[in-house]
Amino acid sequence: MAPQMVLVLLAVCVPLVYPAMALRPGWSRAMRYVLPVLPLPALVLALATGPGWQLELPWLLNGGLWAMDELRRLFLLLTAVLWMVAGIYAVGYLGARNLRRFCVFWGLTLAGNLGLTLAVDIGSFYSFFALMTFAAYGLVVHEGTAEATFAGRVYLVMAVLGEMAILVGLLLAAAAADSQILTDLPEAIAGSPRQDLIIALLLGGFGVKAGLPLLHFWLPLAHPVAPTPASAVLSGAMIKAGLLGWLVTLPFAEIAMPGWGTLMILAGAVGSIGAAIPGVVQQKPKAVLAYSSISQMGLMLLMVGAALADPERAPVLFSVIALYALHHGLAKGSLFLSTGLSVPAGRLRRAGIWLLIALPGFSLAGLPFTSGALAKLAMKDGLAANNLDSALAGYLAPLMTAGAVATLLLVLRYLWTLRSKVETGHNPPLLAAGWLASVGVSLVAFWWLPWQVEGLVRGPVWLPQPYQLWALVWPMLIAVALAAVTLLAKWLVKQR
Amino acid sequence: MTLNAWMPVFALMTSLIAAVVIFALPEKGYRLRTTVNLGAALLKLGLVAVMVWGVFRGVDYGLSYTMLPGVTFMLKADALSMMFAGLSAVLWLLTTIYAVGYLENSPNRARFFGFFSLCVASTMGVALAGNLFTFFLFYEMLTLSTYPLVVHRGTEKALQAGRTYIIYTLTGGAVLLLGIAWLHGVVGDLPFRPGGHFGDADPDIQQSLILIFILLVAGLGVKAALFPLHGWLPQAMVAPAPVSALLHAVAVVKAGAFGIVRVVHDIYGVEASSALGLLEPLAWLAAFTILYGSVRALSQGDLKRRLAFSTISQVSYIILGISLFGPVAAAGGLVHLLHQGIMKITLFFCAGNYAETLGIHRIEELDGAGPRMPGTSVAFTIGAFGMIGVPPLAGFITKWTMGSGALAVDMGWVIAVLVASSLLNAAYFLPVVHRLWFREPADRWPRECRWGKLETSAWLFWPPLLTAVMTVMVGVLAALTFSPLFWAELIVLREYSP
Repeated sequence: MAPQMVLVLLAVCVPLVYPAMALRPGWSRAMRYVLPVLPLPALVLALATGPGWQLELPWLLNGGLWAMDELRRLFLLLTAVLWMVAGIYAVGYLGARNLRRFCVFWGLTLAGNLGLTLAVDIGSFYSFFALMTFAAYGLVVHEGTAEATFAGRVYLVMAVLGEMAILVGLLLAAAAADSQILTDLPEAIAGSPRQDLIIALLLGGFGVKAGLPLLHFWLPLAHPVAPTPASAVLSGAMIKAGLLGWLVTLPFAEIAMPGWGTLMILAGAVGSIGAAIPGVVQQKPKAVLAYSSISQMGLMLLMVGAALADPERAPVLFSVIALYALHHGLAKGSLFLSTGLSVPAGRLRRAGIWLLIALPGFSLAGLPFTSGALAKLAMKDGLAANNLDSALAGYLAPLMTAGAVATLLLVLRYLWTLRSKVETGHNPPLLAAGWLASVGVSLVAFWWLPWQVEGLVRGPVWLPQPYQLWALVWPMLIAVALAAVTLLAKWLVKQR
Repeated sequence: MTLNAWMPVFALMTSLIAAVVIFALPEKGYRLRTTVNLGAALLKLGLVAVMVWGVFRGVDYGLSYTMLPGVTFMLKADALSMMFAGLSAVLWLLTTIYAVGYLENSPNRARFFGFFSLCVASTMGVALAGNLFTFFLFYEMLTLSTYPLVVHRGTEKALQAGRTYIIYTLTGGAVLLLGIAWLHGVVGDLPFRPGGHFGDADPDIQQSLILIFILLVAGLGVKAALFPLHGWLPQAMVAPAPVSALLHAVAVVKAGAFGIVRVVHDIYGVEASSALGLLEPLAWLAAFTILYGSVRALSQGDLKRRLAFSTISQVSYIILGISLFGPVAAAGGLVHLLHQGIMKITLFFCAGNYAETLGIHRIEELDGAGPRMPGTSVAFTIGAFGMIGVPPLAGFITKWTMGSGALAVDMGWVIAVLVASSLLNAAYFLPVVHRLWFREPADRWPRECRWGKLETSAWLFWPPLLTAVMTVMVGVLAALTFSPLFWAELIVLREYSP
């Protein structure tokens, strides 16, 4: 077996076997320190091997096939990086209470999340997806509070319903394709008489994970109550598993589906703008971030909708979606990790920390020279009305602008709520290291990660053109102005 | 007579001789009895393994002996026999180990293990029977040998359950006998044959065939716990845990389901059953039983009672699968014969462990039992997820195969049944799993026993873990040769292209 294939097996099996460490009570202290190492083989795999390999496991389920293409590589990269920085953070964050249990579920959820990005056969894809779904329940309810238990119950009910929709969707698609391989499904769905039913089931089933509006309501409950490192991976990486599910199963490049495209664009509009309304009135920083995730997924939905409507444009949009997912996952992960920080006493150092906390947020809003600017510009090009064949093409640009305003408003609200919650003091070293690493990956290392967007972005573009700068900045100015007006109004009310 | 002809007899005799020896041994001969028990179980497992390999290669095992003109005692091993025989051989070994630990220091063990062996011998006979008459002999022997096990504890409740059990099963047996006799009167003695006998049935006897079919299925449906003949099963759960495991996973309910498979596949033949319009009502009845059992399970507060209603639901998967008239769906049903056995025995072993170690019988007492008994609770969790049909476990393979098969024959409504059943399973198993791992334990357990190093006695600890591992493996390795799925497909291949 080639060393590469050994690496593939390690990437999935290391986190899968890791929970066995819990069998020896004496090892539970050590388990904590292994957390950051778990995604390491997957990270090496994503960085060191190019797309194109495949691994056949004929003995697995109905015949296993794992492989990597450009899309899966980016999702694998995001998953591995985010779980790694969150793992470092978790070493410093976690208390001794129920530590073993947390580590077990962490490992299983990670194994599922990594496995589903590599799996190409339906059986192992769905198995890993289910493993991630059910193991994540252990992360959500970990704190054991009444709030967490309630959130866990809502999560579980939604998750089981989602799993069922996926099961039926995949069954129907597999029957239509007479194949157990994911790559055969899009064509078969396109030609199936049950086309609409299958698409609805898959959109809905994966939509539960991806925070599709109306299926999203578990998300602002569950993401905030989990321990902070778990919130980061839930909102940064696992939410993307739903997105990946759509991308690998739906018949994007096969036929034009204007109806579904319009519906998804509408859902994206509702998500990206609508989520900001409950979002800005949240009191808890993590709840604001959860709504921000729904809003960001709404922006990605715009692209998913456009790709459904216009098969010619789908391949380009895929790359943009993947780039956007990578950017959002890293930035959102970093924001979530910053909720557990304490800030130092010194004025200058305080300011420095706040700047680092805020930067990934501004990156989300498209601050020039950040990954967000790159992603936003690529998205703008990808959805340019004159290239796109969709009834709603003309509305996409204003929607994106409104989405950018909503994004920044949520980020400002987040910073505002965090300001009143944050404590002064020292951080455990690894907690700080994990957070710093997440900021570093989001802001700096991002530029060297092996992403690429064919036709739109060739390699790192540090400096946007002046007209692009303006396009990025003016929605931000609106958001800042709105926030300023709100503060002013609040001050005026207080004066009376 | 060659060795091959005698192989089924040997397999049968191992348990039968073990039973006789155990009855003869004194109550105190604990060590010798355990040795005989385990030795017989291992020997039988070996014999079955040899026959599985032989049947795969196409060797004929079997003999027949004409008792009266027209009445033949016939033993035969085909692919379907070996599936049931394999299940009972593997699980008998594990249940014996479990029972030795479970009944430690309790009275009347010689009686218990004697009937236990007799029960497994009958199961073997049911599996290897070559015609309906032989099948019926062992089927009734099973009824009689399980009764002492159900009432083993001798309490009022146990005796009551035993009475219900014997009334139900003997009545079922009588109806079955009526059907067999009538069939014999119409067409004579028929050996089981893949593809059946009535592919070109005389139109004159069609009416009788339909009525006979109803009698046969009604008789067999008692043990298979088909609605509305399931009443005995939830009551019988007062029996000791290894007996429940045996009743629910291996012997009794499976004998009923197996009999229905035999009637549909090897007496009538799927094509004839379908042409006579018998399969569709059977499918609806099975589908209804699946949902009915699950709905009833929701409201049970007693762990074993909940598992009992779950059995009613799960066994009907087998019947649903074979009555869909398509090879893939049939494979999905047949594979559940093994899958359900492995998963359900895991759950019953675990329920027994909680009862014996912590004195837990009710679901709300399970709070926080996970950290106290991690091995048992991991096994329970795997079994429960398997039942729900979460991939990649055994139950998922069943559902996926059966779902694909149903779509292949345009029976989309089956998917709705599968989904509803999965949801209901999730609704009654997930709260239990949540209690195990995420609730704080009460101050003290109802009745705790300490067993030393492990969380419970080693005899009780290992069997559920082994079957849990099997639950994972039969799913993950479903594509391998000799996996249950492979074997089910082999049976179906021989049935649909005889």
